Amino acid sequence: MRKTLKVINELKGKKLIDDYAIGGGIAALFYIEPFLTYDLDVFIILSKKEKEENLILLSPIFDYLKKRGYSWKGEHIIIEGIPVQFIPADELEEEAVLNAREIEYEKIKTKVITPEYLTAMLLRAGRRKDIEKIEKLLEQTEIDKEKLCDILHRHRLMKKFKSFKNKKL
Amino acid sequence: MKKVKIVIAKNRIITRKELFERKEKFHKEQAKLPFEEKIKTLVKLQEIASFVKGDFEKPAIWKI
Repeated sequence: MRKTLKVINELKGKKLIDDYAIGGGIAALFYIEPFLTYDLDVFIILSKKEKEENLILLSPIFDYLKKRGYSWKGEHIIIEGIPVQFIPADELEEEAVLNAREIEYEKIKTKVITPEYLTAMLLRAGRRKDIEKIEKLLEQTEIDKEKLCDILHRHRLMKKFKSFKNKKL
Repeated sequence: MKKVKIVIAKNRIITRKELFERKEKFHKEQAKLPFEEKIKTLVKLQEIASFVKGDFEKPAIWKI
């Protein structure tokens, strides 16, 4: 994982991406008790030159990683033994990346999406496993309710959250 | 509700309420483990899952 994060940081260093943050299951794992998951979801903000209207160019990133000897398996690229999925950030995710928490993993700097943004992203995805993660996030970690409400309001997810809370009771 | 007592070991009796409080406390403590520790646990879980499935394909078990 240490080496994987180093490679991902290189993408930022080489300006192939502007910024990134860990999301999905591994971000949830940062805040809640360990559970089984297999991939490392990395939400990326692309450099301006890789962004065109309605077109997302991931090829420079993949070309770079291919040159480094990393191979594909399905939709993942295996970096130092870990299946990584690069997800170009949309509006909500971009905000989540920019506001992500800076952490260190074995002295390697990285960023993890905050539990408030993670909750909003999981809620939007809305699969059963996402809802289970939200339940655990609410039970096992400190969530800034004011921040969460602001995110949910601005991204029109409050109704969905209320419906989730009602089902939970 | 009737206060149910549970014998968990010799001379150790707890109530049903206490039992669930302890469970909740345990899960919260697990959530507070350092990230590195959690990743190690994740790899163990991946190993167990691979063993159960009989699938030892490498990317299913992280190299950390």
